[in-house]
Amino acid sequence: MEFKQVLGNRRSIRYFEPEKPVEKEKIQVMLEAANRASRSGNIDYWKALVVYRDELDAETLDGLRVPTTTADLDLAPVQIYFFADLSYADPNNFKRNLRDLVNVGALNPSHGWSEAYIDETVVGQIIAPMLSDPAVVGWMGTIETGLAISSAMLAAVDEGLGCCLHAVNMETAKQVFKYPDHWLPCWVLLVGYPAEDPQTKGQRPRRSISTMAYINNLDTPWEEDPAVTDKLKSSGLIQDPVDVEARAAEVRQLARRFGLPE
Amino acid sequence: MTPEEVAATPSVGRWFDSARLHSDPEDEKQLRLRLLGDFCDHMGQSPDELAAGLRRTTKGGDEAISGKRRAAMDAAIDEFVEKSGFTGRDAIVNGNILRSFLVHNGIFIQGRAWRG
Repeated sequence: MEFKQVLGNRRSIRYFEPEKPVEKEKIQVMLEAANRASRSGNIDYWKALVVYRDELDAETLDGLRVPTTTADLDLAPVQIYFFADLSYADPNNFKRNLRDLVNVGALNPSHGWSEAYIDETVVGQIIAPMLSDPAVVGWMGTIETGLAISSAMLAAVDEGLGCCLHAVNMETAKQVFKYPDHWLPCWVLLVGYPAEDPQTKGQRPRRSISTMAYINNLDTPWEEDPAVTDKLKSSGLIQDPVDVEARAAEVRQLARRFGLPE
Repeated sequence: MTPEEVAATPSVGRWFDSARLHSDPEDEKQLRLRLLGDFCDHMGQSPDELAAGLRRTTKGGDEAISGKRRAAMDAAIDEFVEKSGFTGRDAIVNGNILRSFLVHNGIFIQGRAWRG
């Protein structure tokens, strides 16, 4: 799929084909996409635990339910638990990985980088003080994990899968999966083949970028160029807004299929 | 409670309006009303009391959903469904009809899905 089409096609999918298995190779594609996401200092911030629903016993699946995530857990064949691994916050990790980036020419003298700078200055003067602030460690860990999740989600769309981020009962998750204390739970990404129209009868509402972006100063909103907007419509990034009546009919049909509240 | 009594309550009117149930076949509407009436009898509360009972007022004076009461209600729905003899798909569908009443009265609650 073309990249802009992938961006435009992404939806939060909440109705999955419950019995259609998700191929492991597609999950690997998602994980590799996550592994290619931008990451400051080339640090491994995230961890993921892939869980196949049908490998869980009924009691565990029940225990993972929360009022906001119950039907979803029944329908999604795969759950991917994403964590920020806060053990990244060791200055030695940065020292090692920044050196790697210098060695492969990602960080280069043109921008002031050298092995000497890393060895003698950056860790002690910048990285170590930064990592001594737990708020910064948490912020960095979660934002970098979020970037990885975003890439995984787009890869899922490209693979014809649907996905949606959820919260589950992490107390149960902790007991069952026994993840270490320094893994900070971020999101659970539910994955499966959409039982609903993957385009959900149109794109969900988005406010104009001019309400969120500015140019040069905060008094000047970004002004959309209609020609660019037209180009993005042609490429599939901007799609028709949801057909509310068609969507309502689809939701009703899905609710009846799965016995869910209408 | 009879279906007529149930239908006359504001919370059921809200449910039918919000879920656009008025245009459904009469037998489907009656099934929903009878089920909710039976559940009200089981709980000893009117539909309005069921929905209102899941709300609480915060210290700041805001309206909120009581997590504990919602969990208790969820369990009560499952218990009622079981006691009524529903099994399999019928158990899930009927439980979720009751949850639909709560959902359209502003209570965030999810039931299980039928995968069969």
